[in-house]
Amino acid sequence: MKRFWITFRYTFRWFRGQILGWGLGIAALGLLIVAFYDVFGERQADFMKMIESYPPEFLAFFGTDANGMMTPEGYLGMYGFSFLPIIIGFFAVLAGSNLIANDEERGRLDLVIAHPVGRTAFFFGRAFAFLGAQISILLLGWLGFCIMLNGSSLGITWSQMALPFVSSLTQALIYGALALLLSMILPARNFASVISGLVMVIGYVLSSMASLNENLSTIARLFPYSYFQGSEAFTNLNLTWILALLGASAVMMLLAWWRFVRRDIRLSGEGSLGLRIPFSILKKTA
Amino acid sequence: MKNPNNYSHDPEFALEVRGLTKSYGKVKALGGVDLKVKRGEIFGFLGPNGAGKTTTIRCMLDMIRPDTGSILLLGIDPQSAPVAAQTLTGYLPGEVQYYDNMTAERQLRFYADMRNGSADWKYVQELAERLLLDMKQVIKNLSKGNKQKIGVIQALMHHPQLLLLDEPTSGLDPIMQQEVLSMLREANAAGATVFFSSHIMSEVENLAERVAIIRLGEVVETAETSALTGRSIRRLMVRLKRPVSRYSLENLPGVDVLAGSDETCFTLQVSGDMEKLVKVLGDYPVLDLETDHPSLEESFLAYYKKN
Repeated sequence: MKRFWITFRYTFRWFRGQILGWGLGIAALGLLIVAFYDVFGERQADFMKMIESYPPEFLAFFGTDANGMMTPEGYLGMYGFSFLPIIIGFFAVLAGSNLIANDEERGRLDLVIAHPVGRTAFFFGRAFAFLGAQISILLLGWLGFCIMLNGSSLGITWSQMALPFVSSLTQALIYGALALLLSMILPARNFASVISGLVMVIGYVLSSMASLNENLSTIARLFPYSYFQGSEAFTNLNLTWILALLGASAVMMLLAWWRFVRRDIRLSGEGSLGLRIPFSILKKTA
Repeated sequence: MKNPNNYSHDPEFALEVRGLTKSYGKVKALGGVDLKVKRGEIFGFLGPNGAGKTTTIRCMLDMIRPDTGSILLLGIDPQSAPVAAQTLTGYLPGEVQYYDNMTAERQLRFYADMRNGSADWKYVQELAERLLLDMKQVIKNLSKGNKQKIGVIQALMHHPQLLLLDEPTSGLDPIMQQEVLSMLREANAAGATVFFSSHIMSEVENLAERVAIIRLGEVVETAETSALTGRSIRRLMVRLKRPVSRYSLENLPGVDVLAGSDETCFTLQVSGDMEKLVKVLGDYPVLDLETDHPSLEESFLAYYKKN
């Protein structure tokens, strides 16, 4: 256990800057969004005019329509929660793919792992520090959304405001776990972050467009973003989705651990996909 | 379970490697490495780039998993009990990389923490002083040699029973090289077994009691350093009173006339028995005769040439 805590402590400390950067960024966004709600209410007619001029495809990306936007939930959903999982998702994808593979590609892991820490303790020390960093970022963000809440006419409590953040955490966890797993399987962490990032962005686009085109909803359901609950979490948090996303993240985490404890540690640099077929044919024919 | 291998551990040996193989796709990195290093011994591991030195050492510490074969470090199988093996071992990789934004001290404290309190911080400071390492410097501002010093210190910081060092003096200036070699001798005198790879033959010759030569993933020779340097080739310089035909010497078995020789002054390289050459030289008016003791480097090169 002590070996786990040493790795956890160091990794969490290394996340400090990112926690502050991402967390305060989301908090500042939340502060502005909540503070501007009353101004928005006062100038509702002007905003309605402006929103009605937007194409429906554009509004679909914010998960609402012109009428929905006039409610506190719709307002928060449009300006805050529709892209919160993408913001925290970018952190999760980058941090997840870098969590172990970055040290490996830079040639640092060799010496760290040579110390009596054990691969399992090392892996989970880092993974839990990553989890801690995600929770800390969202906690800071949640505080930012809550600070002005009592003075606004949104009518949403602090505990209600936590619910979309719980849903965002499950999104961050699944993208982070996917990136970590891919970084353990693929020869380069860049591949891992690109693929995980694509899963996140494609899911976002498909889920948003599915409200306009029914045919897309079947495909969209294959992506984690479909199971994100923004302002709808205020009234109807779907625990099954939360648990399913947590379960899928845990499975991916365990698969990443299983791979890490069994594979060779690279000395430095990126590995190879070993896709030699087309090139070898070209060579032979040349 | 410390030793799950189906053979018994001989307590005489600190390190036992048997039939170690490792391939990367079609590339065979190790083709059956066998090594035995006695407790308290300083053992040199020689081989050119790509011969398999680093792969062998990394298998020993469970960084990479061999395809077949077995390893025992101080009686412990590093694959089944890596933490136990790593606790007793100090390791220095061939190319050390650190967290560049840390100071040398912070990096060493990190390694000390990873050792779970077994590091001797007073000893770390003493080693840093001897190596003239400024512990307050940020690593990204350090030269290659100074980075190497951090590596050496972290390998020694917990007074390990076994040191596995991949080119320990790489990047160091000659004075620091000597200092590091002294540290290794001191660690050895205190009971540590030292296993190190090197390209610097004079260093191996000075430090190692025994050496193994690895070639294309296989250990082709294991011998006492003195035996290896005492055998194989000798270099002779013969000066004669009057000119002698080069042909008479060139045709002797195991004798090569080296470039720069003329009819009154020959530089010869002799492999094997010297008896025939001495007999032939007895017939000539010899003015002077010099014999060079062959260096480990010459033995090493001769070995590679031969194979």
